[in-house]
Amino acid sequence: MWLFGGSTKKEETAPAASAAADVPATAAPAAYDDTQLNISAFPVFDASKLHPLAGLDKDLEYLDLDEEKLNTVEGTGNGILPSRGWTDDLCYGTGTLYVSGLGLGGLVGLNEGLKHLPQGSVDPVTGAVKAAPFKLKLNTVLNQVTKHGPHVGNSAGVLGLLYNIIDSSLDAYRGRHDDLNSLASGALAGAIFKSTSGPKAMAYSTGLMTVAAAAWCGFKRMLN
Amino acid sequence: MSTPEADHSRDPCPIVILNDFGGAYAMGVIGGSIWHGIKGFRNSPYGERRIGALAAIKARAPVVGGNFGVWGGLFSFYDCSIKAIRKREDAWNAIMAGFCVGGSLAVRGGRKHMLNSAITCAIFLGILEGVGMMFQRYMAYANKPVPMPVPDQGGATPLGA
Repeated sequence: MWLFGGSTKKEETAPAASAAADVPATAAPAAYDDTQLNISAFPVFDASKLHPLAGLDKDLEYLDLDEEKLNTVEGTGNGILPSRGWTDDLCYGTGTLYVSGLGLGGLVGLNEGLKHLPQGSVDPVTGAVKAAPFKLKLNTVLNQVTKHGPHVGNSAGVLGLLYNIIDSSLDAYRGRHDDLNSLASGALAGAIFKSTSGPKAMAYSTGLMTVAAAAWCGFKRMLN
Repeated sequence: MSTPEADHSRDPCPIVILNDFGGAYAMGVIGGSIWHGIKGFRNSPYGERRIGALAAIKARAPVVGGNFGVWGGLFSFYDCSIKAIRKREDAWNAIMAGFCVGGSLAVRGGRKHMLNSAITCAIFLGILEGVGMMFQRYMAYANKPVPMPVPDQGGATPLGA
């Protein structure tokens, strides 16, 4: 039990304590009655009444140790999670994109695998149809899932990594965090991502990533 | 996370899994870029060394990142789950999480492979935790409180003596 914690338990025990203290007072000889200190007349010590300014009647309070370590660039703090700086943004952004890419790609792979399930074999002599064993089917599906999932996830993760690195650099360079940075870093990340596939693919990817960054900015505004 | 030795520089448990996924993935991609950049550069013929390095980075760095990310994220996931089940934080959490990660990553290789991989991972995490503990103890020993110097005044008895 916490010594100075809640006052509820103390109040419960208070009548019992005074009742117990009454017994020797009444059982004592009458000659001592005027000189004896009447124990039951003492107030039961209640920590919250003894020291009201200390706030001991409240529950435990938690110190927010990380408050001063939050991101200090102007315009931050409107994200979904509190950010401690560019490393937090990088890790959360990349991780979220990577995991969602992994999940989406896994779903695509599941679909592909279920579409191309191995057919049963037909015995050429008897003509009996033998279904493919379960393990073979499971293996087909798992192969497709592990082929598509990591591919989509890795691409999304690289995009997220580039986007967040460029975004944080722009934030630090311009000293503020706003939608313009987001759009610019989306465009740059898309351009770098497809920089070896020719100008047309680069233009497509740049446009797509800019739109995605704009959608993200709109989503954040909608939440706030 | 109310134990006094809890790490307050990290986020609370369910959300920190995403952070670890991203951190491990970023570490893997950046490290893989350096590794495979150098490897692709050295393994390409003269005249194509830069483009060879770029091709190697493009092909392999995200894969390294993915491997790192899945390992770190799964570890964080198991660590959080074990913490939630056991309601305590000690070195055994990490070792058990390592065991689960090793088993999960080898799940398609059969039971024997799973067990081997799980035990290897658990031993690796155990060594890691042990080194961490040794380091912590060394730091505590190096920074141990120094007794106050006794004032050198002859005859005067100190208080409480």
